[in-house]
Amino acid sequence: MLFQIFSGKKIILAGREGRMATKVGNMEKMYRSAAFGLALLGSTAAAYAQENYEVWHYYAAGSERAGMDAMIEIGNAASEDTKFTSVVIPGNVVELRRQLQTAFLGGRPPALYQSSMAFELKTFADGGQLHPLSDVWAAIDGDAIFPEGVQRVVKVDGVPYGVPFDLSLINNVFYNKEAFEKAGVEIPTDWDSFTAACDALREAGYQPLGNAGGTFWSLYNFYAALVSVIGEEGYYQMARGELGFDSPEFSEALDLYRDRMVSCYAQNWSGKTWTQTADDVVNGDTGMFMMGIWVAAYMEQAGFAAGEGFDMFQAPGTVGKAIFQMDVLAVPEGPGVDAANMFIEAVTTPEGQAAFAVPKGSLAPNINVDPSVYGYAGATFSRQFADASAANAVLPNLFFLLPTDLGTEFGVQIERFAIDPSDSVKAELIATLEGLRQEALAENAFIQW
Amino acid sequence: MAFKSRMSRTDWTHIAFLALPTLLFLVFYVYPVISSIHLSLHDWDGFSPRMRFIGLTNYTVLAGQPRFLHAVLNNILWVGFMLIVPTGLGLLLAAILDRGIRGEKAFRIIFFLPFTIPAVAVAAIWRWMYEPDNGLVTTVLNLLGLGGLSQNWLGDPAVVNLSLMGAVAWWTTGFAFLVFFAGLRNIPTECIEAARIEGATPWQVFWKVSFPLLWPSTIIVLGMSAIDAMRLFDVVWAMTKGGPAYSSEVLATQMYDLAFGRFDMGRAAAVAVYLFIIAGIIIMPYIVYMSRRVQDSEAE
Repeated sequence: MLFQIFSGKKIILAGREGRMATKVGNMEKMYRSAAFGLALLGSTAAAYAQENYEVWHYYAAGSERAGMDAMIEIGNAASEDTKFTSVVIPGNVVELRRQLQTAFLGGRPPALYQSSMAFELKTFADGGQLHPLSDVWAAIDGDAIFPEGVQRVVKVDGVPYGVPFDLSLINNVFYNKEAFEKAGVEIPTDWDSFTAACDALREAGYQPLGNAGGTFWSLYNFYAALVSVIGEEGYYQMARGELGFDSPEFSEALDLYRDRMVSCYAQNWSGKTWTQTADDVVNGDTGMFMMGIWVAAYMEQAGFAAGEGFDMFQAPGTVGKAIFQMDVLAVPEGPGVDAANMFIEAVTTPEGQAAFAVPKGSLAPNINVDPSVYGYAGATFSRQFADASAANAVLPNLFFLLPTDLGTEFGVQIERFAIDPSDSVKAELIATLEGLRQEALAENAFIQW
Repeated sequence: MAFKSRMSRTDWTHIAFLALPTLLFLVFYVYPVISSIHLSLHDWDGFSPRMRFIGLTNYTVLAGQPRFLHAVLNNILWVGFMLIVPTGLGLLLAAILDRGIRGEKAFRIIFFLPFTIPAVAVAAIWRWMYEPDNGLVTTVLNLLGLGGLSQNWLGDPAVVNLSLMGAVAWWTTGFAFLVFFAGLRNIPTECIEAARIEGATPWQVFWKVSFPLLWPSTIIVLGMSAIDAMRLFDVVWAMTKGGPAYSSEVLATQMYDLAFGRFDMGRAAAVAVYLFIIAGIIIMPYIVYMSRRVQDSEAE
């Protein structure tokens, strides 16, 4: 239509004089170009009718990125009119928070983002930034498809603010099978056999137990000692601020950790990243490594097969229990809420959950995911989690149950104690953490998980 | 009206040209500083709609925290290090190359190349180099029969700062080198020749003639080094995140941890204000002194 109008104008102009014809010919080219440009613009506008929404996360590479891409593909398949784009925020949860804050201030948050569980969700929900997910939770029957222990840490005052997609156990010890065979070590089942395994590995020329520098890893190791002493109920008491860091039980847990685990740690552990320590296990330098189950995917990617090169057992004190770390999808208030709900419905199906968990090497939080989708390692973790759920012994990562400042300081202080397990450092650790607990109590900051 | 009549067209032109930079300065410098001071007087998590006024509490709490004082001390150590090591090494390399050795161009590129690498990439490289058992640094020491000197480079609180400084020296020496080298090349040859004719040794020529004439370059290098030391963040964050257990923490990384790791924007802003004041105390007298020296030397 547009071109016809321009063409008509050309005919009128062409009737005047010959020289004008050339000029008009040029104008025709111009009009054609303009028409083409406008048509292109129109088609682009049509393409934009397919709405674009962003999913922010920090899974930038490897198995993590593969899992995230697969999940977003499932979300995109749910509707032809809506497109979700993966946006990687380089770094970790801290960098993501920084980016989110800027987005919230600018009023342009993503449709969904990767969030930690528990206190992280509460902070954002209390700040009025998160959309309550009650409707979509009901639509996916969240109370039925997610275990009770998982549900606890995505709800704030009974309202769900996050939907789980990435669950990892953090109470497994991975071991090099050849090292165990050469050192004549049996799989440890309690603290005594664990200590004996350390001694045997050391005598055979191996570094007994790997660890890595950073706020999380020593703390995750410490949970085994903590749960051994205070049990599941004590663990939740600590999360609720009811059990003090100056209690005899906590002191006993520190001693147990020092005597049974810190004494086993590999030389120079604090100068390594978790991937470097995993490499040490793969290379046969280190016998054991207590880490989240993502390390299994990492070692398998390095060609070290689960069940053949390495295997795993639950850390002493946590046998039959599952201590887990979980990421959820959170939905900021904004125009993307409806699209986000649609995305959530798609990715919480068994297929959607498996699409992320299998390549990433984590567990699908949805209990309806068929365990046969996992390989050897995933099937083992799935069994552990199912057993722990049945025994009501599922424990969320304490780091995220505590008020953020206290949880972070907990990690820093335990790492410091693992580097220097002296009585003076122990005393400072207790005083620091207890001081923060009292502050949090005064501010009524604890949550009754 | 009297004011209007006194303003010439040239004055208005000057005002027009100054308006934009002044506006930019106010919006992007003065406003953030005032905003940070305002924020530091509040308790705010960065997300809640309301901030709670708490006066100077953030400042008093920080002043009593060993963690904060340790970060201040680390920053001061970094200032000392940056003023001496990369600057001294840069001057040394520039002086060596200025003697016209063979392959000068290649060495110029090699010395400057690390400075062109982004901080995060430098951190990634050195994180690998410093792997305590199989990293390049330990491996080379072992090959040289100096295995006893190898350390838990980034995991030992007593060593980690020195390790970080090693990486930063490798990274930033190229800048000092380039500025000094350009300065040396700009020194009039007559001065050098006159000194030589008078019988000065190469050592005397350098310290009595070349080095004093390098003052403008020295000012640039020292000033930039001191500023870099005070605002140090990226390499430390990317290599150790201030750890282990705060041992390598500087004020900028502490500020970042408080703001985004612990949702404590108010206290993070107080750290920023402290950093602003400390940087002013340390750097401003130096800049004023050096500027006067430049003016004096130019007058001479």
